[in-house]
Amino acid sequence: MKFGNGGPGGLGHPRRRPNVEVQLEHPAEETKRLQRCINDLVRILALPSIWSGGEPSQILHTLLDALLCTLHLDIVYGWLKDPVGEAHIEMVRVDESRKLMPRPQEICEMLNHRLGDDPLKWPPLVRNHIGDRDISIVPLRLGLRGEIGVIVAGSQRADFPGQTERLILSAAANQALIGLQEARLLREQKRVASELDQRVAQRTGELAKANEELRNEIGERRLAEERVRQEQRELKRIEVRKAAILDSALDCIVTIDHKGCITEFNPAGESTFGYRRDEVVGKLLADVIIPASLRERHRRGFARYLATGESRVLGKRFEMTAVRANGSEFPVEIAITRIPLDGPPSFTGYLRDITDRKEAEEKLRRSEAFLAQAQYLARIGSFSWRVATDELVCSEQLYRMFEFDHRVPVTLELIGTRVHPEDIPMMDDMIERARGGVSDFEYEHRLLMPNHSVKYLHLIAHGARDKDGHLEYIGAVQDVTQRRLSEEALRKAQSELAQVARVTSLGVLTASIAHEVNQPLAGIITNAGTCLRMLAADPPNVDGARETARRTIRDGHRASDVVTRLRALFAKKDANTESVDLNEATREVIALSLSELQRNRVVLRPELAEDLPLVTGDRVQLQQVILNLLRNASEAMSTVDDRPRQLLIRTERDEGDRVRLTVQDAGVGFEPQAADRLFDAFYTTKNDGMGIGLSVSRSIIESHHGRLWATLNDGPGATFSFSLPRGPRVRRAPTVFATDVA
Amino acid sequence: MMIRRSLVSVVDDDKSVRESLPDLLGELGFASRAFSSAEEFLASDCVGQTRCLILDIAMPGMTGPDLQRELKLRRQDIPIVFITAHRDKTVRPRVLEEGAVECLFKPFSDTALLEALNAALRGS
Repeated sequence: MKFGNGGPGGLGHPRRRPNVEVQLEHPAEETKRLQRCINDLVRILALPSIWSGGEPSQILHTLLDALLCTLHLDIVYGWLKDPVGEAHIEMVRVDESRKLMPRPQEICEMLNHRLGDDPLKWPPLVRNHIGDRDISIVPLRLGLRGEIGVIVAGSQRADFPGQTERLILSAAANQALIGLQEARLLREQKRVASELDQRVAQRTGELAKANEELRNEIGERRLAEERVRQEQRELKRIEVRKAAILDSALDCIVTIDHKGCITEFNPAGESTFGYRRDEVVGKLLADVIIPASLRERHRRGFARYLATGESRVLGKRFEMTAVRANGSEFPVEIAITRIPLDGPPSFTGYLRDITDRKEAEEKLRRSEAFLAQAQYLARIGSFSWRVATDELVCSEQLYRMFEFDHRVPVTLELIGTRVHPEDIPMMDDMIERARGGVSDFEYEHRLLMPNHSVKYLHLIAHGARDKDGHLEYIGAVQDVTQRRLSEEALRKAQSELAQVARVTSLGVLTASIAHEVNQPLAGIITNAGTCLRMLAADPPNVDGARETARRTIRDGHRASDVVTRLRALFAKKDANTESVDLNEATREVIALSLSELQRNRVVLRPELAEDLPLVTGDRVQLQQVILNLLRNASEAMSTVDDRPRQLLIRTERDEGDRVRLTVQDAGVGFEPQAADRLFDAFYTTKNDGMGIGLSVSRSIIESHHGRLWATLNDGPGATFSFSLPRGPRVRRAPTVFATDVA
Repeated sequence: MMIRRSLVSVVDDDKSVRESLPDLLGELGFASRAFSSAEEFLASDCVGQTRCLILDIAMPGMTGPDLQRELKLRRQDIPIVFITAHRDKTVRPRVLEEGAVECLFKPFSDTALLEALNAALRGS
């Protein structure tokens, strides 16, 4: 081994140190010396406690200091080999009091030179000259071969090293060796521990990272798996739902492949056709459900589609005959669609047993045929009219009735071309009122056909609102031409008969009156003539004349009696007195005369006031007045063709606690100057009138303490009104003629 | 004296006529008998002597025309002057067709009656 370059300078002057051997003769000195030696040893031996856990450089540092100080050395040098390949440690301590110190370089060179490379060959003591003095140098090996390091102690003293100093040096070397080895060990341990820690930490980090990555990976995988599971669940759900749809479908659903073989057959198919699914899957559809007579056609169609892509049935709904497992045939509605998937074409067929529907259709058809026939026989047509859209649906018979072309849709305009021109205003009025939302209406009107013949129609319609609130009328129209013509004839006959009867009865009455009066008149005239002849005789027969004059007077009385008897015969009994609801009485009259009014094409509009007070009187007499006014009004409009024959009848409260009834027509009216004479007996504007009605009506009203009057309208027509005091009022109506009010 | 006077019979259910006509007939120079019904006349002894019959048409029981037919059946060809209070225009032609001389409507004048009687007696 070599000494390093660095090192303390040259040694100074050797310090004086008591020589142990010299002082042996003095026991006290000896004791002191021993004590000192023990103290030194103790100090050296205590060093390891200071070193515990220290670094080699620290150990060397303290060791050199302790030796320098304990042994009063002039120089001490230490060199340590690094245990783990670090740079070696070299240290020199010199006594500060020595002024002349060699340089460390010199010391190293000197030591190398004096001691040589091999520590084992080092001599125990070397006398050397360092600087200007001689120094005793003791090398000490650390480790058996000095493999740990070397300590070199030097002193100028000639007796150095003494016995105790050798002991202390040796002990110090041992202690240093132990300390250094411990330090090395400790350091090694620390290093290993640190390295281990580092590796553990690194490994831990790596593991943590790996763990994190793993965890992330696991998380992602879980997510992916969850997604897959969800997709699978969704697929499953969709599949289950589709299967459920297929299974629960009421229609038969059959799928076939490109060869026409069944691939799916749902439960509805099973129950409809009587096959189990496993019986038919794989079989040709044609062989299973198509009747033998149609199979060839099916095959040709299927083959054509596969070859050309042309199909007459694909994507359409049609009806055909199918056959069940038991061979029975039945009608089905079928729709076939191509399944939109890649690969060879496959198809789905949706089949529905329509036996019930066919039967219902047949029933409906028969029912419609019956209805059409019934309508034809009864001459009744039916229609529906949606007011909002003016959409009209008419039965066949209605077309026939109007003589419309079947292919032309019926409109109100088209109907208007058939309606009799005189009835157009009424029809317009009817349509307007229907649009206004009356619930029901009933009318009679005429048609003027292209051949100028006239038809009479009776129309009844019922209005209702559909769920959307739209007004729709359903109605029936009857051709009442025959009936109307018969009625017309009958009415005419009745009228004639009535006229005859009236003339006859009047004739009878007149004859009766004449007979009763003529008898006494015959007597009177005969007697009078006789009387004159008797008086004219010569001489005059005075007695005879007196007698005939007496009989003349008697017969005159007799004629007078006849007249009195006649008056008594025609006298009417007392009128009834009761509380009368004028509205109710009016409604009864309307009901009685409605048919006649409609026949006269009069549009009646009642406006009856609510909570009208009662009046007191003879209900029948008052109704005769109302009836008379209605008939007058209707007749006044019989020649009106250029406007609706509007007839308004109104009841209302009148001033002065009275009740008023008004009848307003749109007729010909009357001459203004005739207003007062209207109510005279025998005054009439009508060709066939007796002029009795209004006169009697007025006397009836006046007998009820009321008033009857007439005014001309601003527009066409006249208004007749009567006003009565409200009841109750107990009184007796005077006797009046109540016959033939109309 | 009275034999020359022709007998005119009156048949009428009306008392006024039965009382007044005989006086007038007397003034006109006729003998007269009055009966209240056709049955009474037929039952009397005057049928054969009656030169003219003044006969009411409408009577209870046998009517004037009934009596006219009855007399025809008995071949009693008595001229008949009908009188009636009913001014029924159909009656007159009917009875005239059956052979009546005249049909007077009540009340009639004395001159009309005299013309009818003269006509009746001229014919007989």
